[in-house]
Amino acid sequence: MKFRLPSTIRHDRAGFQDLVELNSKADEIALDEIEIDMGSVTWLDADMCAALGAILYRLSAELNEIKLTGIGPDVEGILSRNGFLSHYGREKTPDRYGTTIPYQRFEVKDDRYFANYIEDQFIHRSEMPSMSTGLQKKFRESVFEIFSNAVIHSQTRMGIFSCGQFFRAKHRLVFTVADLGIGIRRNIEQSRGITMRADDAISWATEGRNTTKNGAIPGGLGLKLLREFITLNKGVLRIVSDAGYWELSGGKTSTFLFGNHFPGTVVNIEINTSDTHSYMLGSELAESEIF
Amino acid sequence: MRFGPKENEMNQGIKLSVFEIVGSPLCVASDDGQKVHDRIAAALKEGRKVSLSFLNITSITSAFLNAAIGQLYGEFSEDAIRASLQVTDTAPDDLALLKRVVDTAKAYFKDREGFSRAVNEVLGDETDAK
Repeated sequence: MKFRLPSTIRHDRAGFQDLVELNSKADEIALDEIEIDMGSVTWLDADMCAALGAILYRLSAELNEIKLTGIGPDVEGILSRNGFLSHYGREKTPDRYGTTIPYQRFEVKDDRYFANYIEDQFIHRSEMPSMSTGLQKKFRESVFEIFSNAVIHSQTRMGIFSCGQFFRAKHRLVFTVADLGIGIRRNIEQSRGITMRADDAISWATEGRNTTKNGAIPGGLGLKLLREFITLNKGVLRIVSDAGYWELSGGKTSTFLFGNHFPGTVVNIEINTSDTHSYMLGSELAESEIF
Repeated sequence: MRFGPKENEMNQGIKLSVFEIVGSPLCVASDDGQKVHDRIAAALKEGRKVSLSFLNITSITSAFLNAAIGQLYGEFSEDAIRASLQVTDTAPDDLALLKRVVDTAKAYFKDREGFSRAVNEVLGDETDAK
């Protein structure tokens, strides 16, 4: 079975829609050969490898043989540098531009491994963008929050996929985490008994004190913290879950309902690396006033 | 013969190092938070005061703090926690995050109590009706 990818796949609503459609078309295929024809692709935002990789991983788990064909030299270059193509029979090439945070798959037990990956591939690399200490800390904690969210809520059995890219000229650092779990809509349905549309479910999860946690350990802060940080940073936060699309940009949110669904959840953060806001400043809290 | 804390040791504080318990400056995983929680909870049950040091910790997530400290509010009263637990060596932004986690945990357990009460009332009503 052959599927052709469109000419551009960016980390925006249209890009996610293309991936959702690919997933839908290939959804029922098992024990077959799946050819992803990339001959028309002239641009693929490298961080989207996390979402594409999750879809392809799920297809290969159905014992399909995945082949990526017709990749042009520019696209092949970036997908080799970030290690994506090494999952599909190519060799990884060194990232001489120093702009990629490699594509990687993690198990849910890999919290520490993920933390070390961020340290090694982002924090301790001199080629990565110069950011204020506070911003760097917030970025690091934000991606940890996203990963923890996937670990705690997704119920994924097929892992968590991540990838990042620094767009130097635009002063933008983009990082994506995708899981192959039950998605936010079904999670709310299971834990709260509330049925809602997939895009409304994402809105619900990002607002107020809403949480799907009901055990001994409280929850419900991760996505709100992300939302607050991205608003202050003037960045963009995009979440795709099930058939829902949710975006925070310029401090405003918008939603969309796709015709098909992503087989899990994708969280994509785009941060403004030239931001000089001092995130190290807390309130005037004293340690004695916390409890 | 039982070897327990001597009377004069009961109110002595215990200093716990998050770095020592987690073994890393990155406090990310809920499982690591659980280890911190288990030490704090064990000490509080022994009637000890706990001083929790965040020295050398560089990153903390809400997931970690929810497991380490948030869940204490489901096991101990707010008064008991306030009287027996203190944190030290925290960065201002980490302290602000901890405050958010604590406030969220208090609300979470209050909501759960309300939810359980409502469920019990409904079940009680049903039982009465039988």
